[in-house]
Amino acid sequence: MSVPDIILSLAAIAKSFGDKAALSHVDLDVRRGEVHVICGENGAGKSTLMNILAGIHQPNAGSIVLNGKTVTIADPIAASRLGIGMVHQHFTLVPSMTVAENLFLGRQPRRLGIFSDRRQMVERARELIARYNFHLDPEAPVRTLSVGQRQRVEILKALAFDADLLILDEPTAVLTPPEVDELIGVVDGLRARGRTILFITHKLREVKAVSDRVTVIRHGRSISTRNTADVTEADIARDMVGREVFLVGRKGNAQRSFGAPVLTLDSVSMTNHSGRRLLDRVSLEVRAGEVLGIAGVDGNGQTELAEAIAGLMPVQAGKVRFGDRDLTEATLSERQQAGLGFVPEDRLDRGLSVTMSVAENVAATNYGRAGLLSGGLINRHKLDSFAGEKIKEFDVRGARPSTQAGWLSGGNMQKLVIARELERDPSLLLICQPTRGLDIGASEFVHARILQAADRGRAVLLISSELSEIFALSDRIGVMYSGRMMRVLDRAEADEETVGYLMNGGSKEAA
Amino acid sequence: MAPALANFARVIRAPLAAILLTLALGFLLVASITDEPVRAYRDLLLANFDSLSNFALFLNRATPLTLIALGVVFSFRAGIFNVGGEGQLYAGAVTATVVAIAGASLPAFVLMPLAILAGLLAGAVVGWIPGVLKVRLAVDEVVTTLMLNIIILLITSWLANQVIRDTTAYGAVSWMVPSSIWLPPLPFVPRATSGFLVAVVLAIVSWLVLFRTQWGAEVRAAGTNLRFAEATGVPAARRVISAMVIAGGLAGLAGALYVLGVGHRFEQNFSPSYGLVGLTCALLARVHPIGSLATALFYAMMLNGAAYMQISTDVPRSLVNLLTGLLVLLMTARLRRAAQAT
Repeated sequence: MSVPDIILSLAAIAKSFGDKAALSHVDLDVRRGEVHVICGENGAGKSTLMNILAGIHQPNAGSIVLNGKTVTIADPIAASRLGIGMVHQHFTLVPSMTVAENLFLGRQPRRLGIFSDRRQMVERARELIARYNFHLDPEAPVRTLSVGQRQRVEILKALAFDADLLILDEPTAVLTPPEVDELIGVVDGLRARGRTILFITHKLREVKAVSDRVTVIRHGRSISTRNTADVTEADIARDMVGREVFLVGRKGNAQRSFGAPVLTLDSVSMTNHSGRRLLDRVSLEVRAGEVLGIAGVDGNGQTELAEAIAGLMPVQAGKVRFGDRDLTEATLSERQQAGLGFVPEDRLDRGLSVTMSVAENVAATNYGRAGLLSGGLINRHKLDSFAGEKIKEFDVRGARPSTQAGWLSGGNMQKLVIARELERDPSLLLICQPTRGLDIGASEFVHARILQAADRGRAVLLISSELSEIFALSDRIGVMYSGRMMRVLDRAEADEETVGYLMNGGSKEAA
Repeated sequence: MAPALANFARVIRAPLAAILLTLALGFLLVASITDEPVRAYRDLLLANFDSLSNFALFLNRATPLTLIALGVVFSFRAGIFNVGGEGQLYAGAVTATVVAIAGASLPAFVLMPLAILAGLLAGAVVGWIPGVLKVRLAVDEVVTTLMLNIIILLITSWLANQVIRDTTAYGAVSWMVPSSIWLPPLPFVPRATSGFLVAVVLAIVSWLVLFRTQWGAEVRAAGTNLRFAEATGVPAARRVISAMVIAGGLAGLAGALYVLGVGHRFEQNFSPSYGLVGLTCALLARVHPIGSLATALFYAMMLNGAAYMQISTDVPRSLVNLLTGLLVLLMTARLRRAAQAT
């Protein structure tokens, strides 16, 4: 094999913001025509590194060699002139404009230098779409597209600038599992056409699926660069976290026995104001000591299922029972008393008040139970020591009882919510999207807590759109589609193919 | 105790700096329009303490401001932008007056609490309306409270002109309330209303309720993130409404105490926009009850001091509007950084 052709070479890149070093020493060689994954935990410096390549930040030290020449990337325009195209995690499209208009935003083909030439623009968009085989309608308004389709528009936008090197910043964070598979197909197609792709992610499964080589970044340093084929997921995880990672899971455990049903849903239906069915006769049963995982593409009724069980949204038909008690009409606080612990899917939306202190957030449902009141008043001393204990027990980093909850990172916020809800040792733990946006270390911790609760004989209902999580933790797996519970499978009969099939409503095509 | 003291110093540092900076800039301004800037400034700041009667007027001014500001604190902590202080104040004042006049034959020990309670309840009802509209129908509270102000001012004007008007007096004023139910003066300050004591006590009680009870924590949870409050089992809608009832009640109480303690009758123009100034006091105090007491005192000092200044020098009293505008500007400019530090 010939000497590999290096398209981009970074040496000893460093960058700090104020006195905080985001990157301390990063070396990176990217070969022409490869898919190179940059992998690292949240806060490791992946995004900073990419922003340097995109011209958004300037490095404090180190050199960037592109196509054999040392370059400075002064701003995003310079980056695109150098052939670097960036697809950001958050889309930068105008929803009301068509695909073609978005592609040529700011550089429409013009007639006589003044009038925009619509026909030519659409024609060129069509060519571009055909060349990469993207299946998009150039005249469809972007707001009518799915998230996966929008992402393809973003990628095309970068390619329309003739980018040789395409950077995808956490492209799968917003995608559903079938869309992830499609994206991986798109990336393969681009590689076949000779494009070089830098792919940022912290999901191990994708690293193996998509890349030729993988570079791991930890605490602002490049740790290792290896051929993907030569490493296992565990190797990469170890490099990311800096220690041996215990990837928890229930699979392989001995035969378990479960207790009596703790939660029973009997044909529960929910309709919204305009009469649309959000939940359609959902029945399920969670037994003591069991983890029931609910899989499904986001927006197929999982949110409503959780709200129905928590009592936050009224159900129109069916019964919700805790043990033998019918709690269909009960309020959330009555359900808490009956043993419910509820970790909502979005910690910023329902999980926390970001402007209140850590102590008040973690105490919110526990004032009476944890003995924080004396003579009707909150005992400040007890509140602080209670919060201090929880911070320690759940390893909430960067937190003191008086810290504003909004200052914490996503993972630490999540630990706070879980600490609050587990404090009561609930007989039913309803936990939604528990590791969304969390890095490996924090996810590992959360997963261990979930399994611990089940091992202590609590019933756990886990709702997640992260399939790997569902598979790792569940004893049984329910799949939701369009407000219906398609099936509840035993762990043994549930494989990715069956579950994926059910997630798409039982049809073979991707959603 | 030492950390508590340090904490206190940290909290008041920013507003204190803003006040000092405002006064310094104001002094430059005063120096440019009068030959006697020092005299003018002395009167603005210190004439309130020249005599016992000046001091009494100062406390009388601070009392309604404090109570209204406390009400605003409750509503803002519950996430409601309540600008209806003026209407709630008027409702309280006129109701207390009507009850006092109608019940003149009752013994004083019955009538006095009755009139005060009536004023408080009237304010509470006026606070309840926008609260319920907000929670049940998502009607914007700024609109409803502002509109209620106008409605109530017009109702009180009609009452003062047509129903309880003192026909022997000039202007839209009611009959005097029976002198047997006038509030006693503060000890040692003959002309000051003892309503001021009530305001001080309620400032402390408000702080306790909001920051040291579970109910207060629930109100603040609902105010900062309603959906979070719901998800922790708090009856969030109920908490928001009750905070608005308390807000209105405090402003209504301010009106009742004014009538019984200072005016002794309802006057249609008794309030120099106490509602709006009280709101400003609460905001400057960063929606904190104890801080509101301090800012209300400061505002009362400035409002009265400006009058003395205008009498003794040629500086117009409207200077105080300029200074307060400047203060609000400086405070909000500092707020962002300060908000991160708390």
